Amino acid sequence: MAKIKLELVKLCKEFGELNAVDDVSIAIEESETMALLGPSGCGKTTILNMIVGLEKPTSGEILIDGKSVLNVPPGQRNVGLVFQDYAVFTHMTVRQNLAYGLKLRKMKQPEIDREIYKVSEFLSLGHQLDRKPSELGASELQRVAIGRTLVTNPEILLLDEPLSNLEASMRNQMRRELRRIQGETGQTIIYVTHDQIEALSLAHQIAVMNLGALQQYDTARNVYEYPANRFVGSFLGNPPMNFIRGKLAEDSGQRVVSSGESTMPLPAGIIGADMTIGSDVVVGVRPESLNLAAADNPGRFTSEVLAVEPQGPETVVTAAFGDSSFKVIVPAGTDAEAGGAITLAPQSDLVALFDAETGVRLMNSGGA
Amino acid sequence: MSEPVLELRSISKNFGENQALDDVNLTVEHGSLIVLLGPAGAGKTTTLRIVAGLEAPSSGSIFIEGADFTKHQPNQRDIAMIFDNLALYPNKNGFENIASPLRIAKTPKDEIDRRVHEMAGMLKIDHILERTPATFSGGERQRVALGRAMIRQPRFYLLDEPLSSLDFMLRIDLRTELKRLQRETGQTFLFATPDYTEAMALADTVCVLLDGKVRQIAKAQELYDEPVDRDVARFVGNPPINIIPARITRDNGTVNISVGSMTMPLPAKMEHGLPSSVSNVEIGLRPEHVRIVESGSDVIHLTGIVNDLEPLGMHTTVGLDLEGVNLFFTVEGVQEFKDGDKVDVHVDLESLLFFDPETGRRIT
Repeated sequence: MAKIKLELVKLCKEFGELNAVDDVSIAIEESETMALLGPSGCGKTTILNMIVGLEKPTSGEILIDGKSVLNVPPGQRNVGLVFQDYAVFTHMTVRQNLAYGLKLRKMKQPEIDREIYKVSEFLSLGHQLDRKPSELGASELQRVAIGRTLVTNPEILLLDEPLSNLEASMRNQMRRELRRIQGETGQTIIYVTHDQIEALSLAHQIAVMNLGALQQYDTARNVYEYPANRFVGSFLGNPPMNFIRGKLAEDSGQRVVSSGESTMPLPAGIIGADMTIGSDVVVGVRPESLNLAAADNPGRFTSEVLAVEPQGPETVVTAAFGDSSFKVIVPAGTDAEAGGAITLAPQSDLVALFDAETGVRLMNSGGA
Repeated sequence: MSEPVLELRSISKNFGENQALDDVNLTVEHGSLIVLLGPAGAGKTTTLRIVAGLEAPSSGSIFIEGADFTKHQPNQRDIAMIFDNLALYPNKNGFENIASPLRIAKTPKDEIDRRVHEMAGMLKIDHILERTPATFSGGERQRVALGRAMIRQPRFYLLDEPLSSLDFMLRIDLRTELKRLQRETGQTFLFATPDYTEAMALADTVCVLLDGKVRQIAKAQELYDEPVDRDVARFVGNPPINIIPARITRDNGTVNISVGSMTMPLPAKMEHGLPSSVSNVEIGLRPEHVRIVESGSDVIHLTGIVNDLEPLGMHTTVGLDLEGVNLFFTVEGVQEFKDGDKVDVHVDLESLLFFDPETGRRIT
């Protein structure tokens, strides 16, 4: 078991009446990347500000290497923060930008040169050292901003939506770069984002936040495959998880969820012993966990196709279920047309039931 | 066959030295949904503004329902333009917001009632007709704004990235809705977006604009499967298509493709598309057309070292170092191997695209 680098214990932050952060406890291991993921206003930036020391928690504790940092002033916590808008000094060269934090720490010039050389090679900025930021592209600026922080050798690197100013085509490349930096430096990273793709692709652990409260804290894989509640299921995935609402029923010996004319067979394992026929259920199933089914598949069901959206390698089909609809991903070229029918079967290990009222996942099927 | 609702004939537009549009030709039929797809600066908004009459073309003409409208004022064209930042009247309720164009046109009261309720039903916003915009969610605001634009029944609609300010989940819901609405009402949409997934999801036909020029006009899936050149191929698809330098060698009637020191046989049915004079090409290989095979298998085409793994939930993107060339491909679910592992892959050779390395044009 690796050592715990940072621990948030029952962290709360109130702004007047508002509980911006409500009883959040998270432990982050050394050399891990943890993503704080959630919509705007979920409290993720407030948590970041409390770790840096820009905000004081209303209650709770922040421990770095097991020691409380609540009384340590912001500049002395040895955490490095990189904002989304680069925060690079435009009147300084790349070299001067990289040297800035080291000069503040009164490091000697030969040592500064050595450190700058190391970080610039590592970030492929070697040829840009004597340029001004105005001569650099967006991804280079982003690397300078990260380099400025990385060179000070922080205990924890905090990245606040670092890719949100980049074009889509640049983000793939920058994500790759960040994974490499993390892998090679073993740096502990906290990555704040509203983008589920960034969280999944960069983080070992994901903390999903909503309305100031921690919804789930688990490995990236578990958060995706076994969401703890409907919020998490609907915040990750493209398209997100479907939540199919209906009543539990029985059809020739098999348990099904039914709504209006529609029925969908349920895998046997997911139904609790206390659930009776006729009770309201919400079935969570990802669009890729519904497969095209042959006419003799006993787990199949048929739905009316409402919309067909090609996406390249795959096609997203929207199909009717009772009064509502769900989305399913099928291979490109699948014969589906609005107004026609599609026959599907759920992949049994990735279907889960959620409480119709609270939205909480009911069964702990599999990995979680 | 009726006249096309809109025709752009050889439209060019210069802003000083800068040529924003270069000989753009596009025909929009009644009841169709055409998407203008291109990156920022490609000329999408300029095209829409010229169609709307907010901007005059430097040369070329705009035909609407068969008549030349190039010199007509915007208000004579009977077109609705919908932008990203749609303003609502904050002091009017949902009903009055949607009804406002009809009130201005002095439509009879019972007709207004009927049409607003019909529109609200289609947009699924019956429940907010009595409420004011301050209480609407983002999606409700956008729907009310759409309702207000659509109630007028203009000749056609120009939509300039109307979903771009919405959050991601709402965007994919609303685009499905928008397409359904367009189908059900039989209206004509010309829709601009930089997002290829949005373009493919919505469009009957996609028109790709790059650097002010129409590069390709095609059905969504055709654009993905049969791009005319390297730029279009790269713009559509994520992770982007792999473009890899390769050599064609011919030996006793068999044709091979070589990547570095590795050689793959070209399927016979693909040979006729490649002129015998061609030897240096770039192959276009989509990330989903590569799969991992057991070592020792007889269908191995390429071998490389894993240098990146990007888990994305449904898929994982694997980066492979092929003797110094990077190859990215997608595999289902989560993968067990690690950076530095040696991996053998099979390539779906029949899906390969070939590009001229000089011009970037597709060869076959």
